[in-house]
Amino acid sequence: MLQILEPDLSQTVILEACDLLPGGFAIIERNGAVGYANSPFRSIFDMPDDPDLKLLLENVCGGDETLSSKLRRGERDFTVSCRGVSDGRTLVMVAETAVVTVPAAVERRDGLTGLPNRVVLNDQLTEALRGPANEAEFALLLLDLDRFKTVNDTLGHPIGDKLLCHVVDRIRSCVRDTDLIARLGGDEFAILQRSPKQPEAARALARRLVDLVGRTYIVDDHLLNIGVSIGIALPPADGADPDRLLKSADLALYRAKEEGRGRHRFFEQEMDARAQARRALELDLRRAFALRQFEVHYQPQMKLADRRVVGFEALARWRHPERGMISPAAFIPIAEEIGLISQIGEWVLQTACREAAGWPDDISIAVNLSPVQFSSPGLVTMVIAALRQSGLAPERLELEITESVLLQETAATLTILHQLRALGVRIAMDDFGTGYSSLGYLRSFPFDKVKIDQSFVREMPSDGDSNAIVRAIIGLGVSLGISTTAEGVETQEQLDRLRAEGCTDIQGYLLSRPIPASGVGDLLLQLHS
Amino acid sequence: MTTEIHRIVYFSRNAIPGSEETIAAEIRQILESSRRNNTKADVTGALMFNAGCFAQVLEGPQSAVTRTFERIQRDPRHGEVLVLDYGAKSERAFANWSMSFVGRDLREKDLFGAISSETGFDASRLSAEVIFTTLHRLVVEEEKSAVG
Ligand SMILES: Cc1cc2nc3c(=O)[nH]c(=O)nc-3n(C[C@H](O)[C@H](O)[C@H](O)COP(=O)(O)O)c2cc1C
Repeated sequence: MLQILEPDLSQTVILEACDLLPGGFAIIERNGAVGYANSPFRSIFDMPDDPDLKLLLENVCGGDETLSSKLRRGERDFTVSCRGVSDGRTLVMVAETAVVTVPAAVERRDGLTGLPNRVVLNDQLTEALRGPANEAEFALLLLDLDRFKTVNDTLGHPIGDKLLCHVVDRIRSCVRDTDLIARLGGDEFAILQRSPKQPEAARALARRLVDLVGRTYIVDDHLLNIGVSIGIALPPADGADPDRLLKSADLALYRAKEEGRGRHRFFEQEMDARAQARRALELDLRRAFALRQFEVHYQPQMKLADRRVVGFEALARWRHPERGMISPAAFIPIAEEIGLISQIGEWVLQTACREAAGWPDDISIAVNLSPVQFSSPGLVTMVIAALRQSGLAPERLELEITESVLLQETAATLTILHQLRALGVRIAMDDFGTGYSSLGYLRSFPFDKVKIDQSFVREMPSDGDSNAIVRAIIGLGVSLGISTTAEGVETQEQLDRLRAEGCTDIQGYLLSRPIPASGVGDLLLQLHS
Repeated sequence: MTTEIHRIVYFSRNAIPGSEETIAAEIRQILESSRRNNTKADVTGALMFNAGCFAQVLEGPQSAVTRTFERIQRDPRHGEVLVLDYGAKSERAFANWSMSFVGRDLREKDLFGAISSETGFDASRLSAEVIFTTLHRLVVEEEKSAVG
């Protein structure tokens, strides 16, 4: 036993020391009264009649072994333990439960909005997915803000940051305390909505969010309008682990954006299949370009006045090792999206110019340009290089563009078009009538030619509307003094009608399908005989 | 120091379901909140309810107007909120009204004169200027008749 060795050490000093201990303790008398309590203990409980203390003494204390229990007071958690001491008294000790501090390396909150981040979302998803599958009563919503980037780019990050905080406020006002909102990235959020009534609860929340987040914001002196797209996944069908569930929600989000943004979509299995097929095609396409599995085929265009072939349109073909020939309609959109179109386009242009350079001098070559090529620098340089390398006279090259090219930054686009024209190259408006069909576009630049989309030509004999459209476009060409080429001409009847309306040129299966360069010589002989 | 006055003019579509009485009761409740909160926040203005649409003018110190408008934006009792005008103004137009109301007690269809009879009141076709001046005129008229 430890003796008090220093006789001068008074009780006062000992009691003083007791008050300085980090933990609280008290001695309870046999009759339940508090015999002594040190200062930390007194600061935790309202002495002497604190109801929590009473409860503790009744339930926990008594007996010789140490018993402990947890206690929450306000925001603080305590561990209380009791054990019997001499004379039937009880010692009660209280210590604040250490707050588990996260190592600084793992950031769990987003600095700007104070929201939990991806780490927390993952933890809580894991937690929520534990237990029997049929008890996973929650939905995962992924949110992506529409047009937020424009705000950031045009008004700067300080305004963008303030806007984000407003958005988060609105999102907070839509969810319950038990739901989790996490910020995953710049303008990406996730909500873990805990509710047994799925999918109704998720649908209601998504609708409310699309409405509310899409309403006008005032930030400083600016009125700002953004929107939100939402993808929703429900466990366990859409994923039984966090990664799978997030992926499903992401695919649904992708679809919501694809369908026009400002809306929500639930995940469907079919989205996964589609995404996989697409990914496979993407990989194939990259490989195909590396291996030069592309070919250029040529379809003749004939002038109706003297029935002479005046040129060919170059059409990219993809010879897939397993699937055979794949048409441009199937792979060009993907090539545009994954940024491969400029390279494919350049290769087609070079190839077409080189092959056409060997044809008779009065035969021209038409090559399509994608809108994407207009927004990447160096288009004019690329055309100059193709002409120089092939030795093709610029007058023999015709570049076909669609109306969508003119939709983007018109001033810059028009400059490029004028530069191309200055080289001596001709410019044709392709697929006219299918898109915006604005006369304004035709007037905005001196096109050399308008091409009438094959969908109208095909319907022409039977469909009155198509007839009227074809007639209007031809009339337009006449009034602007430019030639008109009808695409997709398959029958003699179509040809006769087109000629009667004043169409100047035709292209289509009636003359020939697109053929490899090796067949061009023979085809010319055959068509001119 | 006088703080700069900001004014916002918007219109929105009623989303209160139910009978005319229900709507009237909700609007009464909105006006009660408005008058209580706006007085405290130094916000003044006018609210109009007509043919299923709200039009409102709010004016006051910028932060108060922004905060009030943000709260109103979140109110599920209306939707399709379209802001027609927002900016600093030299003075208040509704200085005496924490939230003046125009609607029930006036012959509804005549509020916007010829415009409403021609178009069946489509506030989205009205400019901020028209809504603002109309509200202002109506509020002033109403006050005159109350006094006289
Ligand atoms: C068309 C419309 C106009 C409103 N105008 C105001 C207003 O001017 N001031 C205001 O405080 N609340 C206004 N509200 C009500 C707010 O949306 C919100 O319900 C209210 O401010 C809540 O405050 P309370 O809790 O003090 O009642 C309006 C609501 C609607 C639908």
